[in-house]
Amino acid sequence: MRAPATEAANATETGKTVLSAENISLTFGGLKALRDVSFDVKKGEIRAIIGPNGAGKTSMLNCINGFYHPQEGTITFKGVARRRARPDRIARQGIARTFQNVALFKGMSTLDNIMTGRLTKMHTNFLLQAIYWGPNQREEIAHREVCERIIDFLEIEHIRNTPVGRLPYGLQKRVELARALAMEPDLLLLDEPMAGMNLEEKQDMCRFILDTNHQLGTTIVLIEHDMGVVMDLSDRVAVLDYGNLIADGRPDDVQSDQRVIDAYLGVSHQ
Amino acid sequence: MQVLFDFLIGPFFQIFEAPIFFVEVVIGGMAAGIMYALVAIGFAVIFKASGIVNFAQGAMVLFAGLTLVGFLQMGAPLWLALIATVVVMVALAYAVERVVLGPLVNQPLIVLFMATIGLSFVIEGFGELAWGSDVHRLDVGLPRGSFFVGDIMIDRFHLVAAGSAGALVVAIVLFMQYTKFGRALRAVADDHQAALSVGIPLRMIWVITWSIAGVIALVAGVMWGTQAGIQFSLVLIAFKALPVLILGGFNSITGAIVAGLIIGVGETVFEVYWGQMMGGATENWFAYVVAMIFLFFRPQGLFGERIIERV
Amino acid sequence: MAQDVPAVAGGEDTFPKLLLRNARDFTSRPAMREKDYGIWQSWTWGEALEEVRALAIGLAELGFVRGDKVAIIGANRPQLYWTFCAAQSLGGVPVPVYKDSVAEEMAFVLDHAEVRFAVVEDQEQVDKLLLLSDRLPKLEHVIYKDERGLGDYDHTRLHAFASVQDAGRSAIQKDASAIAEWEKELSRGGPDDISVILYTSGTTGQSKGVIIGSGRAIAAARDTVAFDKLNEHDEALAYLPLAWVGDFYLNFAQAMVAGFCVSCPESEDTLLQDLREIGPTFYFAPPRIFENLLTTVSIRMEDASAAKRRMFHYFLGVARRVGEDILNGRPVPLKDRVLYGIGRWLVYEPLKNVLGFSRVRVAYTAGEAIGPDLFAFYRSLGMNLKQLYGQTEAFLYLTAHPDGQIRADTVGPPMPNVELKIAEGGEILFKCPGMFVGYFRDEGRTREVLSEDGYVKTGDAGFFDSEGHLRIVDRAKDVGHLNDGTLYAPKYIENKLKFFPNIREAVAFGHERDFVAVFLNIDLNAVSYWAERNNISYGSYQELAANPKVYDMIEQHIVETNQDLASEPEMAGAQIHRFLILHKELDPDDGELTRTQKVRRGYIAERYQPLIDALYSGATSQYIETEVTFEDGRKGMLRADVEIRDVKTFPVAKQKEAAE
Repeated sequence: MRAPATEAANATETGKTVLSAENISLTFGGLKALRDVSFDVKKGEIRAIIGPNGAGKTSMLNCINGFYHPQEGTITFKGVARRRARPDRIARQGIARTFQNVALFKGMSTLDNIMTGRLTKMHTNFLLQAIYWGPNQREEIAHREVCERIIDFLEIEHIRNTPVGRLPYGLQKRVELARALAMEPDLLLLDEPMAGMNLEEKQDMCRFILDTNHQLGTTIVLIEHDMGVVMDLSDRVAVLDYGNLIADGRPDDVQSDQRVIDAYLGVSHQ
Repeated sequence: MQVLFDFLIGPFFQIFEAPIFFVEVVIGGMAAGIMYALVAIGFAVIFKASGIVNFAQGAMVLFAGLTLVGFLQMGAPLWLALIATVVVMVALAYAVERVVLGPLVNQPLIVLFMATIGLSFVIEGFGELAWGSDVHRLDVGLPRGSFFVGDIMIDRFHLVAAGSAGALVVAIVLFMQYTKFGRALRAVADDHQAALSVGIPLRMIWVITWSIAGVIALVAGVMWGTQAGIQFSLVLIAFKALPVLILGGFNSITGAIVAGLIIGVGETVFEVYWGQMMGGATENWFAYVVAMIFLFFRPQGLFGERIIERV
Repeated sequence: MAQDVPAVAGGEDTFPKLLLRNARDFTSRPAMREKDYGIWQSWTWGEALEEVRALAIGLAELGFVRGDKVAIIGANRPQLYWTFCAAQSLGGVPVPVYKDSVAEEMAFVLDHAEVRFAVVEDQEQVDKLLLLSDRLPKLEHVIYKDERGLGDYDHTRLHAFASVQDAGRSAIQKDASAIAEWEKELSRGGPDDISVILYTSGTTGQSKGVIIGSGRAIAAARDTVAFDKLNEHDEALAYLPLAWVGDFYLNFAQAMVAGFCVSCPESEDTLLQDLREIGPTFYFAPPRIFENLLTTVSIRMEDASAAKRRMFHYFLGVARRVGEDILNGRPVPLKDRVLYGIGRWLVYEPLKNVLGFSRVRVAYTAGEAIGPDLFAFYRSLGMNLKQLYGQTEAFLYLTAHPDGQIRADTVGPPMPNVELKIAEGGEILFKCPGMFVGYFRDEGRTREVLSEDGYVKTGDAGFFDSEGHLRIVDRAKDVGHLNDGTLYAPKYIENKLKFFPNIREAVAFGHERDFVAVFLNIDLNAVSYWAERNNISYGSYQELAANPKVYDMIEQHIVETNQDLASEPEMAGAQIHRFLILHKELDPDDGELTRTQKVRRGYIAERYQPLIDALYSGATSQYIETEVTFEDGRKGMLRADVEIRDVKTFPVAKQKEAAE
């Protein structure tokens, strides 16, 4: 299934840092969701964030894509440090994401959903669009082609025109990935991409994530509950527990870390 | 027996006896319906984009009317007054987004709905403060008077109202269907977070939507103002737009037009032929009863996309 | 091998020569279509020639020479069809292989056929071949169509399809005489060339490589093209497995001879949608597909509004009553004619349109017996659905219904130029234009299937009825006797059972036993829908199959079958006494069905021996453990207590000695 020749891990060591989060702290009222968390993402790698429920994984993603603004710390993306940036701006800068509970535009077809991923790439001014058909149409066709390639890539041809609300959950997750890929992001955030899937769907999703990483060269940060999946997929793993970063490194190292075993692995094996 | 006859059969005799009168009644009803529709479209546009039932749409109609009259009274030529009013409405949209909607992002829709009730009073009060509380005559030179087609009398103003409503709808539909804004707008309506995550500037979309609603309010204000003068009772027409929305479906612009016509014609015909028996002033409740009956059978409205679980 | 080769009327005696003719005569008519990236891409005959030529010259550059075998593995893709023709043009032999065959089968076929080249669709097939590479010393080059995921692979023996074509094109660019040389090579081909080797999956034993000669193949195709009046304006949808004789015949041989356009669906999952968009005029499907389509329609109708549903059922009733008579030109009362006309407008045409059948001029079904109700359903809608009977060894057609002489219970009279005869034991023998040359590297078995006077044994038992139509009873070797001497034709019984929508598969036992007993598979689609409406909850096939209410329903079906059997004197003794519903679906991955979904009786009997013993021991339930293979190749154990029931049987209508 998997291309045997390249080990993405090789590239990792030499890859440039795409994103770094330094000393991030996030508080909701009295609740500390993240405490002084630092970690980085290198170009071309698959980076996993794991941890028990409520450990602050999704909060971390939300900080990265601008839904939350940490009270302390800085996030640097592609060499530019930022504070309090709006999520739509961050999306335009090249960060795409999916959601734990599938956030699709339920009334639209699969294709239209994916096309929304191209909105930021459409340059024609929308006021001009109304009057000026030529460039607009040509642009629409080009974007449609990008979407069709993604549809082909994720093997969802058969649901191209189905309203996504009617799709089974596993396929909805795939459409969500497709929409994120349509943005041609530099950094892709996946929030539990395999949650609620059956074995076969999980295998498919794993394959798509790997293919995305290998063939499109997309840098990926993913949160996942399924330990086996994380260890197989990712190049480096960060472990959160109660908002603290308790381990960070290669899957094998993390797996044998005593704190991790206590905090997470021990729990999940009960 | 007599009562039953009067109620079920009598009116139809009257209709058959004087068909030309009936046609005129229907045309009058359609004219009223278009007026309702003009307000309802404003509701629908905002509902489509954000799921919010904008209680302040009526106040916006009044405000737009007052602003236009104000500029005219200050001696501005009509074209300038119109442009200035549009600018004011866009500024209002921006302010609404800044002050009300922005801070309330991700709040339950009911909270946003409540916010628009408050907004309604603020806009109304602000209009009163700025332009006074008198009834203003509004004459922007729309054609008045009537002419005959065969035996049927037609009011020129009604034609203009119908024409402008039609043009407005075509423009909005084209805008939504064929520009990237339309797709973005549908995305925003479906899921705010997801829309943000694909880079759709939510707040800009809202400003644009409210601006469109503001322009629609201006058109409605001009029409209503020409017919009845700009007065504070205009706010109340917002209530008449609600049954129209229920009938047409909250998120359908076509629905707003069709339902506006149905309700306009229905209530006028009912008042003329049945009103006497029911003690008159049936227009005040007819639309609501129709809407209520309709809710039983088709809660998503004639053209609505799905059952409204948001209000 | 030098048997009398039928004369070829048009002069072209190989498929590449036909390609040249088509490129000349139908230059700008479409030859192939494929839906890719959501849009139907198409190639005219002129363009198809260019593609085939580029590929052929590219292959020659890789060292492809006369006599080389090339394996073709994948879904229906234009590139793979071109490979057939490109190989033939160089005097090579295409060997299509089922793309979902397990490694073992694939290794056997590739090794046995001595393939030097393999042209495959995608990474999945490449991986499979790489895995088998040490068992296939003769395999030198693997060419793949879909580049996805293969960028990092070692490319010493691996080539992208496009790069092979590019090599061909640049060779032409460098020296334009390459074209003339290729055409010269092509013209060296003749009627005695091997056109293709088709490996039959076979219900027993190792696959056999059926050699089809070039001249004969074209002669056969010419006959059927004339029979159904096919021409360059027809359209077909290619979705059958490439390795099956039917696909090569219908979508390659016939298309080449008639010059019609073949469309390749986007993927298996989009088939129905693609069918609707293409609207083929010539359509073939095994009964199973027609059945699935009908099930889909019925399920969708159950969800429609009551008025629509009533209208649908009413007009289908009308169609059932008079549709076929109207089609066959028999007298029908005026009122029914009018109703049928309204029904056509309201129901039949829209329904056919939804199914993608509105342009179908000729449709065939074959492979298994088709249920009379199912057959009548499509016929009565006004679709020209016919049956054919054929074999790989015959290069498909032996008999078929001519237009206007169509009956559900026969497979029609012999085709033109086909000689059929019935042997002593009821076995059907044939000689025909497309008759195979022999089994590849298997003289022994070739001799076995040939009779002394040169006929081929089909292995099927059948007889001609009074109108000269052939009726198939069963596999000749499967026809047996009960202990009391009653004639026992298992397939006959199984087919009767399978015509119930709730029963997907049936396996009957009875040869040299006291009575007939059956294993059943329920149809998960139909029964789960039934279960939903009857508030029966279940978690798996196994659970649903074991539900007593499901048993009750199925028992009722069997009682009806027995009633039916009791009315036929020869069959009355073979009524079903006991049955059970298997705890798992019969599956080709477990070797229980062939790739073409035929039951492997012997293997099943062996695998479920305890269940068979229980059927005849009188037990009311039996514990069984079964090994199963999951889709990803892992194996597991399935355990179940399977209930066994007795069924009511009926006295024979007219007591009669079983006639020998």
